[in-house]
Amino acid sequence: MESFELLLGGFAEALTPVNLLYALIGVTLGTLVGVLPGIGPAMTVALLLPITFTVPPASAFIMFAGIYYGGMYGGSTTSILLNTPGESSSMITALEGNKMARRGRAAQALATAAIGSFVAGTIATALLVVAAPAVVSFAIAFGPEDYFALAVLAFTAVSSVLSRSVVRGLASLVLGLAIGLIGIDQQTGQARLTLGIPQLLDGIDVVIVAVGLFAMGEAMYVASRLRHAVPEVVPVGRAWMGRSDWRRSWRPWLRGTALGFPFGALPGGGAEIPTFLSYAAEKRLARGVAREEYGKGAIEGVAGPEAANNASAAGTLVPLLTLGLPTSATAAILLAAFQQYGLQPGPQLFDHNPALVWGMIASLFVGNTMLLVLNLPLAPLWARVLRIPRPYLYAGIVLFAALGVYALNATVVDLVVLYLLGLLGFAMRRFGLPIAPAVIGMILGPMAEIQLRRALAIGAGDVGVLVRSPVAVVLLALSLLALLTPVFRRLLARRAPAAVAHVPREED
Amino acid sequence: MSESGNPTTGPAEKRARWWRPELGLALVVLALGGFVIAGTLEVSAAASRLGVGPRFFPMLVGGAMILVGLCYVADVLRGGRGDPEESEDVDLDAPADWRSVGLVSGVFLGFTAVLDALGWIIAASLLFFGLSVALGAEHRLRAAGVGVLLGISTYLLFVKGLGVTLPGGVLRGVI
Repeated sequence: MESFELLLGGFAEALTPVNLLYALIGVTLGTLVGVLPGIGPAMTVALLLPITFTVPPASAFIMFAGIYYGGMYGGSTTSILLNTPGESSSMITALEGNKMARRGRAAQALATAAIGSFVAGTIATALLVVAAPAVVSFAIAFGPEDYFALAVLAFTAVSSVLSRSVVRGLASLVLGLAIGLIGIDQQTGQARLTLGIPQLLDGIDVVIVAVGLFAMGEAMYVASRLRHAVPEVVPVGRAWMGRSDWRRSWRPWLRGTALGFPFGALPGGGAEIPTFLSYAAEKRLARGVAREEYGKGAIEGVAGPEAANNASAAGTLVPLLTLGLPTSATAAILLAAFQQYGLQPGPQLFDHNPALVWGMIASLFVGNTMLLVLNLPLAPLWARVLRIPRPYLYAGIVLFAALGVYALNATVVDLVVLYLLGLLGFAMRRFGLPIAPAVIGMILGPMAEIQLRRALAIGAGDVGVLVRSPVAVVLLALSLLALLTPVFRRLLARRAPAAVAHVPREED
Repeated sequence: MSESGNPTTGPAEKRARWWRPELGLALVVLALGGFVIAGTLEVSAAASRLGVGPRFFPMLVGGAMILVGLCYVADVLRGGRGDPEESEDVDLDAPADWRSVGLVSGVFLGFTAVLDALGWIIAASLLFFGLSVALGAEHRLRAAGVGVLLGISTYLLFVKGLGVTLPGGVLRGVI
């Protein structure tokens, strides 16, 4: 029970008044950006990177973790109260959640989402405590070829799972990899792809890329197709649920957690697949009232996917902390945050910075509890946030994006790069290229290069070194499998046409 | 709205046309691949004796870009199409409003041009006002008021409170 002691130490770190304050700021900001359309936790953490440079790392990560978890809570509020699918991870929640809200059960939908998120988040964080040391002890023997294979798996899995078209996912990935190449080569000091512009020698900062692709891109995309009808927000009071709701919710919560955590931990697993699976499972298991209500607003269809959603967020942290492997855009930004502090997540991080790692993990428990308190009574307040007029919202988002980017180096060149990346983000949205592979490629690409060169140096130029270890072979084989998903998908599609696109219609 | 699946498959869209806007993006990926390779060739290979130098990985990435770019171009030519991203505030049925995009671009680039001269407070207020009007804000006076309020409050919070560097411009010394 060594990790239990370390966790207690982590609580000592997380429960200091200063860190409690950072956790509170984190979860509040996280919920806010989760509720607001157009911005998410990835961009928020990116924007805060330059400002938090003076904050000690433990406090910064406690705040970032709060933003990450808070974003998950906030997303569910939006999808329940607004009848438009927002982030892909809360799309499934909208199916039953919004129908519940329209039937006057918004309070119960919000309550089961918040309490389910709390239950799932807590259990999944406990699983993280157990799983992380196990993965660390396994990964401690990893060589550079294994890390390279891991990166390849992350690239291919994220590209093929996040988009319905693998070639579009890969296009996003290579764009990110190319951006990551710009700047001075870390090993030889050679300038690469800088076009002779001195400002590019340090590479393009991850903050500019993230903010450009997410905030600027979203603002321009919204400008091109703004929904002019005022969004209809279902009015809601305090979130609460009755005895029968509890009876109907607890099992879906647990099942959702069981689905969400492992998928979150897998490269490319993400939150979409487990939320969808949880929705489908609850539908199949529905009996009695639930069966009648399914499709008209069954509480099970909110409880399960919301739990899966939050559990997957905790699952994402397993490969991030133990292997330095980001499996989502937010995780990639968190990885960049670690690098900003000169830290490299991986087995060594647990050895060298136990206070930081365990403080962050302990803060997840703390933040989860705060989020429950913040979300149950304050639901009406968050609902009001949804009524911000859209022109003001997006103008404000761009203003803060410009602020965060200018604050990096105090140069207008960065703002122009921000605009160009915004154009790219706009085009990617317009043509259905997922953003996450680009962000992951940009951040993980340079590390993949270092591991590749290290491995080849050990092998003295022999490429066979890359498949020397069985771990690397398995990982590369899985990568190949990920690239072949369109073949599987075509086979599946032949059986159930357009099952993914028409979730609610998939009657059996 | 979301349940209706792909909304824009009208009869006009089904007709196979040679040029489509998405082809532009695919060609950009392809061209950037060529650019990465060309740019990498300029990097001198004077490198470590063991293992590979600074050219190896960029060549891999450039090669991958060209390969992916070719597949992407082929996919678009064969009639493949990406689904525009769904978002809370996006109406996928609406035709693209290029005037708004142009206005947003103009306002933002204008902001970058005047930022250093006018300073953050004035430039940011103008940015907010311009963008919100471009995006269809109805009460212009209110948009201007919110803009000024945001410009001043962000300046005070970030410069005075958090020590971030923002240009003072013409108001330097006043605030």
